Amino acid sequence: MNGAIGGDLLLNCTDMSVLERQRAHLKYFNPSFDSPLAGFFADSSMINGGEMDGYLATAGLNLPMIYGETTVEGDPRMSISPETTLGTGNFKKRKFDTETKDRNEKKKKMNREEVTEEEEEKSKITELNNGSPKSIKKMKNKAKKEENNCSNDSSKVTKELEKTDYIHVRARRGQATDSHSIAERVRREKISERMKFLQDLVPGCDKITGKAGMLDEIINYVQSLQRQMVHSGYSHEMVNSGYSNEMVNSGYHHVNPMQQAETSSDPLSCFNNGQAPSMWDSYVQNLYGSLGV
Amino acid sequence: MQPTSSMNEEFLKKWQMGLQIFHPSIDNTSVHERKKAIKLSADVAMASLRKGTTCWSRALIEKTATEDNFLVRQMLSGIKAEALINKKLPKRTVCHRKIVRRSKKILRRKSKSASEEAAAKAKRLVKRRTQGLRNVVPGGELMSNDVLLLQETLDYIVSLQTQVNVMRSIVDAAEAEIER
Repeated sequence: MNGAIGGDLLLNCTDMSVLERQRAHLKYFNPSFDSPLAGFFADSSMINGGEMDGYLATAGLNLPMIYGETTVEGDPRMSISPETTLGTGNFKKRKFDTETKDRNEKKKKMNREEVTEEEEEKSKITELNNGSPKSIKKMKNKAKKEENNCSNDSSKVTKELEKTDYIHVRARRGQATDSHSIAERVRREKISERMKFLQDLVPGCDKITGKAGMLDEIINYVQSLQRQMVHSGYSHEMVNSGYSNEMVNSGYHHVNPMQQAETSSDPLSCFNNGQAPSMWDSYVQNLYGSLGV
Repeated sequence: MQPTSSMNEEFLKKWQMGLQIFHPSIDNTSVHERKKAIKLSADVAMASLRKGTTCWSRALIEKTATEDNFLVRQMLSGIKAEALINKKLPKRTVCHRKIVRRSKKILRRKSKSASEEAAAKAKRLVKRRTQGLRNVVPGGELMSNDVLLLQETLDYIVSLQTQVNVMRSIVDAAEAEIER
């Protein structure tokens, strides 16, 4: 299935940042999880004044794969890019698409599909292109009305959606509709989402709740990783100077030790991964050569 | 998520290339110099994997460039990523201390109820920790908002993990070889 392969591609691509990959991971395994992923990327690029253009580009490039798995058939937004390809031509459309996705994310308590259609109807009616600096609009949260809107409007709606640059958010039922508090809530949810990912990453953080404790653990973990690197650097040096003496004294040729190293040591086998052994040999040979042997 | 093996391989490749560039020049250098070269090349390799998309990678390259510009340029040209050294960073936010102190005094004058105080204390804790995180992550001070900071830490942690994995496996393999 295209989506399955795409998920793998995403996971192995080092161009993407970790966050994108984790979201792809989640989407891949849990198609019903409509995470507010892409909307954040579009949003963050706007917050930073478009500094991370390269970042968004990769986000845009890889998004189509994600959408292909999770958006439902009746979704009018699919009319924008029906095929899930990694074509760069989809990039621009995806950027605007992400914003509508973000809007959707706000209505977690309502049925998703109904909300999508209802909301797009509303946006078509109340379309504001006045370029107001506020990026968040308040809209009253209504009960489930206008459930099955005609999808004839959908093409028109999607075109108008493409014009806007802002993320439209709807207030939740029973919550303050002040634009400031909505913005705050968006920010808080983004932060908590990222904290969740960090919790998966840092070992031993399942039981810790609360931002302060988590941040503490994260700081400790990063510092310990950095210290480990320094230590590894030290031991590299020692090992290599020791190794070089060995080699010189016993008059070994490069090749033999390398091959034995490859077969005997388990840690290195994680790299082998179906790669031809000759390539790995040459890798390791070069590495040892370059480390001052 | 844990670093994948393809990430490990790519890091190893880039690091190797960097070390090969340094190799001719480090034959007669001291242990200290070689250690620095190893660490520097590892840092640059790690940062170049992201190809300038993340803030920390750009900041890291700039930091290593201030330590040893020549080596960094050499390495980047070796791995064909010269553009990375010119990537611009967001401006550092300047905090005028007098203004900050004055506003804090004003805030403190307001009387607080017990619950509010607890919340304020929690906020202070969180703020202190985020500041600590900014100090640890390269380029942390340049990130204007918390959301971005957390995103960057995520990426940075995974890169650190790949680096440590690769280094550790090499050391293990070499030690196993020596022992026999």
